Amino acid sequence: MTIERIDNELCNGCGICVNSCPTDVIRMDKENKKAIIKYPDDCMLCLICVVDCPTKAITVTPEKTSPLMVSWG
Amino acid sequence: MSKEHVVETDVLVIGGGLAGCFAAIKAKEQGVDVTLVDKGYVSKSGSSIWPHTYSVFNPEWGHKLDDWMDHINTGGEYLNNRVWTEIIFKESYARYQDLVSYGVEFRKDENGKLYRWKMAPQRACESLEFHIVAGERRAKSLILRKQALKSGVKIMDRIMITDLLQQDGRVIGVVGFSIDSGDLYIFKAKATVISAGAAAFKPSGWPISELTGDGMAMAYRANAELLGCEFIDTHNTWAENPAYGFPAIMRASPGRLLNAEGEELKLYPGRLRSYSLNVEFEAHAGRLPLIWEVDADSKVAGLKDRRLPVVGGSVGGMAVHTAEGIWPINTKCGTTLPGLYAAGDSCGTRQVCAVYSGVGFAFAGASVTGTRAGLSAAEYASQTEKPTIDEKDLARLKKVTLEPFERKGGFSPKWVIQVLQNILFPYYILYIKHGDRLKATLTLVEFLKDHLVPKLIAKDLHELRLAHETKNMVLNAEMRLRSSLFRTESRGCHYREDYPRRDDPNWLAWVKLKEEKGKMKLWKEPIPNEWWPDLSKPYEERYPVRFPGE
Repeated sequence: MTIERIDNELCNGCGICVNSCPTDVIRMDKENKKAIIKYPDDCMLCLICVVDCPTKAITVTPEKTSPLMVSWG
Repeated sequence: MSKEHVVETDVLVIGGGLAGCFAAIKAKEQGVDVTLVDKGYVSKSGSSIWPHTYSVFNPEWGHKLDDWMDHINTGGEYLNNRVWTEIIFKESYARYQDLVSYGVEFRKDENGKLYRWKMAPQRACESLEFHIVAGERRAKSLILRKQALKSGVKIMDRIMITDLLQQDGRVIGVVGFSIDSGDLYIFKAKATVISAGAAAFKPSGWPISELTGDGMAMAYRANAELLGCEFIDTHNTWAENPAYGFPAIMRASPGRLLNAEGEELKLYPGRLRSYSLNVEFEAHAGRLPLIWEVDADSKVAGLKDRRLPVVGGSVGGMAVHTAEGIWPINTKCGTTLPGLYAAGDSCGTRQVCAVYSGVGFAFAGASVTGTRAGLSAAEYASQTEKPTIDEKDLARLKKVTLEPFERKGGFSPKWVIQVLQNILFPYYILYIKHGDRLKATLTLVEFLKDHLVPKLIAKDLHELRLAHETKNMVLNAEMRLRSSLFRTESRGCHYREDYPRRDDPNWLAWVKLKEEKGKMKLWKEPIPNEWWPDLSKPYEERYPVRFPGE
């Protein structure tokens, strides 16, 4: 499940992970001031966010599945 | 879209990886205004995070230029541009010293001496010492960001550049948008450097999904000459969790590669061939899965199973570093378009070319071409007047930038990417090639380009970035297929089943391309005669690496 979870308790809202992600998977939730997984399909499992997170709030797992191919867009 | 911003600068650098940071720092040191823009965040973007080796040529360490050149000339199957290969070797030490002065730390051994790794002690490589100096992976790109800021470079993160603005052919800036605010950005620049990396197709097996050939595509659309899209890189990945292959394989080495029949595959037959096509040939022969068997005495932490299944093609269509790129017309990283410079993997220096026959060359090349492009751009900028933007051209590009956002119906980038990947990724398209299959694939990719791309839709700014990436990837796919069809021989990691041998009399040449009257035009650019191998020598001596059946 690629980027699986950002622990709300551990996340301190610093926003480092938003910049860490080269493919724009993570965004800040403006209301709660916490990082959220906004576009998980684009996670490429590079683990930069995991390494950069100062509170170790992010879990990334090795599995990545493709969505079913459908015939139109 | 809310606001529109106009940013004026002397030098604009697109892409903040290793080459882009060098270009920005070196240009800024010349006293001009420099803006560095990236669709991600400078220091995390491009491939800048990944390399941990830097190849340094230094005669004081006993290196002999002739030996190094011979290694690359033969490894690159005579298609490396020797002028560039030599420049990059000779300037690598100075750029290494720059990195040290910026604060990048290089690995030392237990005696406090620089850790230098001698590569491939076989045959012609015997006398070579490729000095690999390893720094802390992620720190290096962050240090370059800090150095750029310290030098006074203006960094603008998370702005996706879509196209180049021109005035009578001269590049005078770019158009783009912020992926956070949606604001439109118009950059007016006296000189522009493209250092936006290589092109891939959001591959299944390597963390390079942001390398979508944006620089190549925007240069093509502005009518620049490009080259070398037929040499596709052959990194491997872990078959069980391919997208996670990079960390898994990094942990797993050293070991040996076995095919399904238990035979060991020599990765480096004869001489060092880092990434030739042997895994793909095994696939084609029906001898998958391959197993990477980690040495029994390996003390790699966290490894549960010593036998890792391996598959090829993990970088999904990315070229050998700098084998492809924007054609540099001189050694100053100039391009066929006045005002436009290219650096790093966007610059087709052909430093190694047909096969990636080294380690640490890409980083050295990026720092050298980054420096040269930065200096040239600064020089050009200080000699030219401020450009005037053609309002009609600007209006057209603004429309192109925002179109996917404004379209009511069409195709999502996610789906078009999936379609493209399904067409391109099987090993028998871009690795084990055949004219018939290339033509069939080209027909499909042309359909994507003509029918799906013009109807891409984006429901938010993330998807707007994806829509432009998709458009660029489809264009880059066409370049690869056409270049692969055009080269009617096999060489390096370009293998054609219907032309399975090297053809020296006809193909000691590069494949160039450009847009002409709405079509992609390709032609041969012969290499200088003095770079030809000695044709009186038997084929086997000229080419120590065999293709199947040879």
